Amino acid sequence: MTELLLYTFFGMLLAVLAGLAKGSMRRWVIGAGLALLVVFAAFPFSRARGFLSRDTIDPTLLALVPLFPLLLMIPLGVLLALVLARRGGQAAGLGGVLGGTAALVAAGWWYVQPVQIAKLYPVEGLIELLLALGVAGSVALLSFSRPKQRVPILIGAVVAGVLAFLWFHAPQGGGAYLPKSLGYYKLMLPTPPGAEQQIVDAYNRALPELNAIRKELGQDELKPIQSLADLQGAIPQQASSEGYRLVQPATTQYGAFAAFFLAGLMLGAGLMQLRNASLQEPDDFRAGILIALVASFLIPAFDATEFDLNKLVVGWPFLQQFADKAWPPLLADPAAERYPLQEVLSQIAVTVQMALVGTFLAAVFAMPLSFLAARNVTSGTPLMRSVFYVTRLFLNVLRGVPTLIIALILVAAVGLGPFAGVMAIAIHSLTELGKLYSEAIENADKGPVEALESTGASGVNVVRWAILPQVLPLFVSYTVYNFEINFRSSLVLGLVGAGGIGYFINEKMASGQYDQMIVGVIAIVIVVNIIDFASSWLRSRLV
Amino acid sequence: MIEVRNLNQTFYTAKGPLKVLMDINLDIPKGDFVAVIGRSGAGKSTFLRTLNGLLIPTTGSVVVNGTDITRLPKRELQKYRRTVGFIFQQFNLVNRLSTLDNVLHGRLGYLPTWRGLLGLYGEADYRIARQQLERVDLAAKENARVDSLSGGQQQRVAIARAMAQQPTLMLADEPAANLDPVLSEEVMRTLRRFNEQDGVTVVINIHALDLALKYAKRIVAFKRGRVVYDGSPEQLSEEVVDDLYERKEMLA
Repeated sequence: MTELLLYTFFGMLLAVLAGLAKGSMRRWVIGAGLALLVVFAAFPFSRARGFLSRDTIDPTLLALVPLFPLLLMIPLGVLLALVLARRGGQAAGLGGVLGGTAALVAAGWWYVQPVQIAKLYPVEGLIELLLALGVAGSVALLSFSRPKQRVPILIGAVVAGVLAFLWFHAPQGGGAYLPKSLGYYKLMLPTPPGAEQQIVDAYNRALPELNAIRKELGQDELKPIQSLADLQGAIPQQASSEGYRLVQPATTQYGAFAAFFLAGLMLGAGLMQLRNASLQEPDDFRAGILIALVASFLIPAFDATEFDLNKLVVGWPFLQQFADKAWPPLLADPAAERYPLQEVLSQIAVTVQMALVGTFLAAVFAMPLSFLAARNVTSGTPLMRSVFYVTRLFLNVLRGVPTLIIALILVAAVGLGPFAGVMAIAIHSLTELGKLYSEAIENADKGPVEALESTGASGVNVVRWAILPQVLPLFVSYTVYNFEINFRSSLVLGLVGAGGIGYFINEKMASGQYDQMIVGVIAIVIVVNIIDFASSWLRSRLV
Repeated sequence: MIEVRNLNQTFYTAKGPLKVLMDINLDIPKGDFVAVIGRSGAGKSTFLRTLNGLLIPTTGSVVVNGTDITRLPKRELQKYRRTVGFIFQQFNLVNRLSTLDNVLHGRLGYLPTWRGLLGLYGEADYRIARQQLERVDLAAKENARVDSLSGGQQQRVAIARAMAQQPTLMLADEPAANLDPVLSEEVMRTLRRFNEQDGVTVVINIHALDLALKYAKRIVAFKRGRVVYDGSPEQLSEEVVDDLYERKEMLA
């Protein structure tokens, strides 16, 4: 509970700070309110446990409404706040206070409810509906750019949406690939009185048989239970498979923190606006929608990435130990015939050379390819047009594969060592340079092209004499910049065994020789800065 | 030399078809100096670009020395174009190359493609290019990058490039519009010199009416895609000019 109150306090603090800075408060009321609606419908709030850990379900507030209808106060409060926000001034402030308080009271009240049993009710077709809406929406977006064909496009959107729904919902349709998605959203229904006793009785009845099996396996016998509380948070296997779950209101998930934070923010912003009614601006609804969007993507992302500063505190001793071992760096140890500095320098050289060769190969192949990928050069015949599209497609698809992945595959094919790294760099840079070069070609001044065409020069000569002189300095500039990037990516390539300094660092890190590893790190910092500096100096001279 | 027959040009834009040229019929004999006048958007530039095949007309024909150049295959069109010089308002030089390189571009049409690619111009090409640079008084600047030259000098380089093609027809699209009055006169004098000394037919688009009247042998006036006057500069009456530039309406 203290943690939740802390989040509430954070929300209020943010509102107060923004209010003291004379920012619009209504925008925060609206933003927090809309985000609260998202939290209410989509973010897990409590935990509901079954027999196995994979039976665990984290219901949203909306899913808990059948168990605890008072939770409806949250969306109603938010709606009231939004209506009042339209009126602005003191009313908007009052709306924020009412909405925030309603959310806090309802969520807090739910939090103090006892552990209880509930029955799952999967909402069939919901995910399919969302998918269908997504498909229909994307098709309908086309109608913005083609106002004349709006009606047929909208009809097409509806048809596409219906087809998507039917395909995904069909027994062997799209849903078969994503079995979890069917009935993913589950409501928590209250159970009739006596349901818990039935589960307990069923458990006790099955106990002798279970104990016989456990005895054969050499496990302890289980005792009959008086109530589900004796099972300490779990419920029997049979009840679990029948769709019963033990709902624990106080085992909060990230949605709970989000809800209390947003409610606090709403309350705080409302209070600030009550104090100073002029804290509002005309575009508050747009800003509020933006705030809500950011919040509804950011909050789950923090949860999914297991963001927890506490882990750093736990890991602190290792960092200390690392620092102790890494300093002073071991440059050379003649007694043991170890010369890390020398090795680092030669490995750095290899890394630079990898980047050099990779960039060179990429530039050599990107140069002709980029002309084929430039719209203005390939406009002549339908054949050239199709060459253009093929080249573009090739570059775009290949560009999607990161250097590291190419290196992983190549290491498996050609073995450990810098060659795999060079090829990976060359292939990826080819796509990057091909795009940059072809954009430079497309942006070339058309005047000289027209002039050379009118002298009767052939197509390739027009490209050679009217376009190439214009784009060559840009090509060189892009290539230098690409080399800079390639040097940095070749550092990482060592980690997958593609040679260079990265490989050295990985090896020393794994064997705990931090004082040698740190030599490599320092060398990298120096060389990266030198190359950055040299590259930007060179490029500033070129263009 | 040039016979333009029933020329129509329609562009299909997002807002619908746009008729730029309507029923143009013109004969331009060899050695003529024609100034095409008219307001912006009257179709002058389109007309000029149709004469050297940069644009293909919607209907109609442009017959030059007996061949219809609007329906030529690519190779033949390139062969035709090398005999037609074109001077642009924006000069359209390749800025990063030297003056001589730019003038040599006028010879590209006469070289086999592979020699052009490698820049292997022949002795004769260099002689012609240097000769033309001399005629526009830029022989001393042959190694300078063209972006280091002044506007007037750049336009002279462009003229030398066109003349290096040894054209029989010279087209010029507002060659003086980006230059000050003195340089404009200079460009016009250069064109007249080529017309008189080399017998090159000149067709020029021009805004400045005084220059047109002073240098051209013949005036062709365009209004909204149609020819509204075709005759000598002397006979061009005030009424025609007023109508052409819609001066009355502007004053009203």
